[in-house]
Amino acid sequence: MRPPLIRDIRRYARSLRCFWGTSLAAELEYPLNAAIELVSVLGNLAGSLFVLQLLFAGGPSLGGWSWSGALVVLGLYTLLDGFTTCLLQPNLSRIVNHVQTGTLDYVLLKPIDSQFWLSARTVSPWGLPAMAAGLGLIGWALAQAGPGAAAGLRSPGAVLLALALLLAALVILYSLWFVLAALSIWFVKVWNATEVLRYTLVAGRYPISAYPPALRLLFTFVLPVAFLTTVPAEALLGRGSALWAVGSLVVALLCLAGSRLLWRFAQRFYTSASS
Amino acid sequence: MSTIRARDLAKTYRISEKQPGLAGTLRHLVNRRHREVVAVDRISFTIEPGEIVGFLGPNGAGKTTTLKMLTGLIHPSAGELEVAGYQPWRRQAAFLRQITLVMGNRQQLIWDLPALDSLRVNAAVYGIDEPEARRRIGELAEMLELGPELQRPLRKLSLGQRMKTELLAALLHRPAVLFLDEPTLGLDVNAQARVRDFLADYNRRTGATVLLTSHDMGDITALCPRVLLIHQGQLFHDGSLAALTQRLAPCRQVRLELEHLHPAEAFAGFGTLEAHQGHQVRLLVPRAQLTERVAALLERFAVVDLEVSDPPIEELIGGLFRQRAAAAAAGAEP
Amino acid sequence: MRRAWRVARALLGSQYALMLEYRAEIALWALSGVLPLIMLGVWSGSGAGAAAGLTPQQLSHYFLAAFVVRQFTVVWLIHVFEEDALQGRLSPLLLQPLSPLWRYLASHFSEQATRVPFVVLMLVVVGLAAPGVLWWPSAGALLLGALAILAAFLLRFLLQVIVTTLCFWSERAAALDRLLLIPYLFLSGLVAPLDTFPPAVRRLALATPFPWMVDFPARLLAGEPVNAALGFGAIAAWCLVLLPMAHLLWRAGLRRYSAMGA
Repeated sequence: MRPPLIRDIRRYARSLRCFWGTSLAAELEYPLNAAIELVSVLGNLAGSLFVLQLLFAGGPSLGGWSWSGALVVLGLYTLLDGFTTCLLQPNLSRIVNHVQTGTLDYVLLKPIDSQFWLSARTVSPWGLPAMAAGLGLIGWALAQAGPGAAAGLRSPGAVLLALALLLAALVILYSLWFVLAALSIWFVKVWNATEVLRYTLVAGRYPISAYPPALRLLFTFVLPVAFLTTVPAEALLGRGSALWAVGSLVVALLCLAGSRLLWRFAQRFYTSASS
Repeated sequence: MSTIRARDLAKTYRISEKQPGLAGTLRHLVNRRHREVVAVDRISFTIEPGEIVGFLGPNGAGKTTTLKMLTGLIHPSAGELEVAGYQPWRRQAAFLRQITLVMGNRQQLIWDLPALDSLRVNAAVYGIDEPEARRRIGELAEMLELGPELQRPLRKLSLGQRMKTELLAALLHRPAVLFLDEPTLGLDVNAQARVRDFLADYNRRTGATVLLTSHDMGDITALCPRVLLIHQGQLFHDGSLAALTQRLAPCRQVRLELEHLHPAEAFAGFGTLEAHQGHQVRLLVPRAQLTERVAALLERFAVVDLEVSDPPIEELIGGLFRQRAAAAAAGAEP
Repeated sequence: MRRAWRVARALLGSQYALMLEYRAEIALWALSGVLPLIMLGVWSGSGAGAAAGLTPQQLSHYFLAAFVVRQFTVVWLIHVFEEDALQGRLSPLLLQPLSPLWRYLASHFSEQATRVPFVVLMLVVVGLAAPGVLWWPSAGALLLGALAILAAFLLRFLLQVIVTTLCFWSERAAALDRLLLIPYLFLSGLVAPLDTFPPAVRRLALATPFPWMVDFPARLLAGEPVNAALGFGAIAAWCLVLLPMAHLLWRAGLRRYSAMGA
């Protein structure tokens, strides 16, 4: 007899494999999507590079960031955008449907964590091109940035820090999405709030220091765009600061805990208010 | 030990009232008004293991609310409740493995995928290993007469086949308590009969406790030796179906279509006139005198069409409660 | 003519009442149009505007105008159409003696009317956050700008009608619309003023319908020197090209739809 915790972990892992296996099978029925996504990713990337080049026409730097540094930020943005398409969009935008059709009841009656179910039930492969393009852009930009950046990344500690900050970025992004999507338990009418998030996060395409001070504050403390792309990019370029790193990890933990709390609160509301 | 024990179970909703329009919204923000609505009013009952119990009542009587409290989807406002030894609203995993909920109007299976894929997901979630899951699917599929349908995308199945796969998915983890909310909703007569047969068979084989709601008296007649009747949140009847029918439907309904027009008085002595509209007439006739009255009707009038049926359960219940209210009013007078 | 007026009034009235019901969603859609404001932040922090000969004031006027233009030229026809077709609401609409496209057009106008207060609110917030960036355009600029916005909206609507008709043939028509959004995003002037483009790219962009949808009305509103006749002419020319196409495709699509017995 295995201890219950291990059994649970294995059960969750197997559930996840099953979730993703079935949803990939369903998505791959539409091969044309692959071509469309590829064209769309390449088009968006070309457009973003074009605009970035326009912004660099005025001088060698943008908010103190070199061309290759800004490319790392853009790469991170593309990576996160792909992650959104893969996991966040397909799962979290469905919560409102569950609320509207009443199938949330079924989710709540499964012997598995409902937040886990709602967040990981499906996966869409169509974000993968963007994720690959983002990773490619980051690699290329780091190589361009020259030996200085590469030297900063040579120690295992620096690599670990960069990965941790990237993970923190993913966690923050997930929590923001989840919180907005979970609001539909109370307000079915704000189902499109996640769209607002998606369009506002476009700000993460550029380093945070490129913005005027007021916006910088907004993008750090209200809508933590800074922690999504700028902070991990600095770590990747080997100039991560301890303060920002700690701040980023703390924000990530707070966001995750916040999403968890909100969900528990939402469940209590749902189970005492629905009919 | 009883499977379900409910004592003085109650649910009260707080409904905030808002005037329509923008002004109403603003006023609502400043000055919230709430109204308490009693959905379930202190009901008590116990259900023993292996029982099949029908849950009756008109729309809005509190059936669904009670069902949701029993499954743990709604937190009761007051009273005690124990299902399979657990307090449902805590929704512990061990409790959830013991129960299942099937709602005739809501699907849990994925529309675009074959049912087998959804079943594999359920097996993983409930921690049933692959060979065991395959065995159970085979067994249930045989009982439900499902075969290649399981490999076709759900959207390509008929309503009856979909309901059967929903049942299969809901029973994969061998729950000890089944909650079924209108499981035959929208099904044709054949499919309805098959679902009923399956439920009876399943109950016999596994000894599972079944609690079901239905608008269709046929479901209840075929399956439930015991019924709970809820009206306006209160438990009105707890006992055998025969006793309930006796109490509720001492009369049968005779629907006539007549060749000619007749005044309402013409039907006096045949039964209670329920509806009278042009050539269409509806009468309530006591069960014992049904044959002679129908014969008399056929003799007296030129009948184009005739139909004898039990009045709809909702009308019966409604009529019964009107009677009770009238009796209470009469009793109050000196 | 009198019938057209009556139909238009009835359609607009009912659609406006409907859109008022959706005001929460519309507020959020309005909020999701912040891209030009974000871009204003980036551009004002870089020297690129100055390098292209734009003063900070010109830059902020341009992007604020682009923000307003974008708010009132949003077209979502394809999404409602897909939904209507899927839910089986299309067939009853097709039975009416009025093309459903007019109904959709009316609901777009009504949605824009519902948007007005939210857009004003957002501009007030911008004005409070950055005092001095707001300005009051001259009456002429305002009038021409509003006309240009209307023209740009009609052009975008027409373009989407064409993509929407492809829904009759393919389930992936909405994806095609998303692809069209990419050149719109980068070539229309939404994220960068056309003045900052390299000359070759600029010529290329001007050969597409996209700059006339944002750059042209935005510069009119911002009071930049613009050849208004050329702009309106270009929009009219594109409409003349697209209109027969849309008409033919719509009729062919309807024939296909009825042939499938849907």
